[in-house]
Amino acid sequence: MEYDALKTLHSSLPPFAPHIPVGVLPVLALVLLSTTFVLAFYFSTLPKSTIPAKEVAVASTASVLGGFGVVALFCTAGVYV
Amino acid sequence: MSLKWASVPLFLLLSITSGLCGASSFENTAVVRTVELGGSVVHVTTTYAIRALENNLKTYTIALGKEDRAKTSWVEVKVKGQDNTLPFTERVEKHLSLFDVTLPKPLSGNKTLNIVFENIQTHATTPWPQTAAQNEDQALKYTTDLFVLSPYSTLVQRTKLRALTPRFISWAEPQGIDAFVGDAAVTKNGANVVYGPYKDVPPSTLDNFLEKYQQPVTVHYFHEQPVLEVRKLNRAVEISHWGANINIQDDISLYNAGPKLKGHFSRIEHQMQGYNKKGAPHVLPALTLGLPPGIRNTYYYDTIGNVSTSKLRVAPLPPKGAQRSQYSILELRPRYPLLGGWNYSFTLGWDAPLESSASYDKKTGTYIVAIPILTPIPGAVITDEELKIILPEGATDVSYVTPFPALSAVMGTHVTFLDTVGRPSITLRYKNLTLKHAQEIYVTYKVSTLAHIKKGLTVATALFTLFVLAGVARRLDFSINRKKKVQ
Repeated sequence: MEYDALKTLHSSLPPFAPHIPVGVLPVLALVLLSTTFVLAFYFSTLPKSTIPAKEVAVASTASVLGGFGVVALFCTAGVYV
Repeated sequence: MSLKWASVPLFLLLSITSGLCGASSFENTAVVRTVELGGSVVHVTTTYAIRALENNLKTYTIALGKEDRAKTSWVEVKVKGQDNTLPFTERVEKHLSLFDVTLPKPLSGNKTLNIVFENIQTHATTPWPQTAAQNEDQALKYTTDLFVLSPYSTLVQRTKLRALTPRFISWAEPQGIDAFVGDAAVTKNGANVVYGPYKDVPPSTLDNFLEKYQQPVTVHYFHEQPVLEVRKLNRAVEISHWGANINIQDDISLYNAGPKLKGHFSRIEHQMQGYNKKGAPHVLPALTLGLPPGIRNTYYYDTIGNVSTSKLRVAPLPPKGAQRSQYSILELRPRYPLLGGWNYSFTLGWDAPLESSASYDKKTGTYIVAIPILTPIPGAVITDEELKIILPEGATDVSYVTPFPALSAVMGTHVTFLDTVGRPSITLRYKNLTLKHAQEIYVTYKVSTLAHIKKGLTVATALFTLFVLAGVARRLDFSINRKKKVQ
């Protein structure tokens, strides 16, 4: 698209809005990472079984929550990933 | 029978040849060239008052000599009094650059128009003498061609060289142009040196005119401000969707292109100059920059470490769509004052909310970001710039438009925190940028939701690997003496 046309389009469009508002990120980081910590502790107390269904379930929820918690933590610390 | 040039009246000869060249379509009633002498940046404005001699003329040609074109880094053509620029195409003929300007409306016979041809020259002045002690004056030399070139005949033309202060050391006297001179070939009044007015100048792009009359004229003047040059600017712009943030980081190599320091630098003398408020004109103690409004987390450091001698006043962020926005003022004081010939390299960076620069088109799902090319440093020229735009990971359909063409553009990949395949990056190179080039590049791209979430899932995968290792480790027995089962 030509320069002036793109410039007017840019000024007429609504501004960028993040999926998760930036002010929520520190709180979200704290909540997600503390949940991950608790779940990891729970994982360490689970009995060893032949088919580790429960261990895999707890590990996967803990890692997904921890993954997004780490991203939120980076943004809170000022490293905007 | 050979034709002797000297025996034929010159204007008759040239009018015959100009008629053959088809240069009779326009006539310049007056041409005024104003040269605003500066340090590293010289602003040349040429106003052509043209009169059409034929009907329905659509293009007007402006000529520029080879040396002047080589020094020019910004060209803009307008009708006097109007804001919008006129389109033009450039071509090179022999050793002249010709700009064919498309007029806003075709011009019919005997109609007049005023066209303003603005160009900015960089690296056009040289310090003379080339060395200066700490407390001495700074003088620069500027050379230009005497006559304003034009493929059409000119009734009267003059060139005005204007310095910031009315202190000129010398200016060249033109030779052999008595045919055009009225009162005096060159006059000085105040801060202006005027070459002209020269009357009845024939089309000056012809070889015989150029050989006989065109000559370089040099003006030697005092300049009261430091001549600044940014030798290399590396600008990295990183866009983050998770943090809704745009980070701009400038690596600047600042150079004082004035006369080199003669003798040693005396700190006592420098302190006394600062105390008496009578600084030497070629010493740069501090620099004031205008940064965008609404910035945060600004950092300024150099090779030694953080530089604390700076003061930032952040301007509030205007609501989107507001026309005027203030600059945030940053007063930088480098670790040492910059004397002639000295370098100073530093890094300056800041974060800004992405809402101020980016917009989202819901229909097509594209983001449009406006990225400033440079931070304007008044009076300085940026000799070499590398602009690297780093988009979020997983950005697709990346395209960009630039206000003026770059020297080169390369798409690459940039790897940073929490990345898997890396982020798409656009690297643009520029040369000889000035304040007029401080415009914005618009980049459009798309980021799918899956690509956005991928960052969290990457870390989740790493954590899950740790859990799997832990699960395997708990099932292994590392005891030295295995417990014997009770029989």
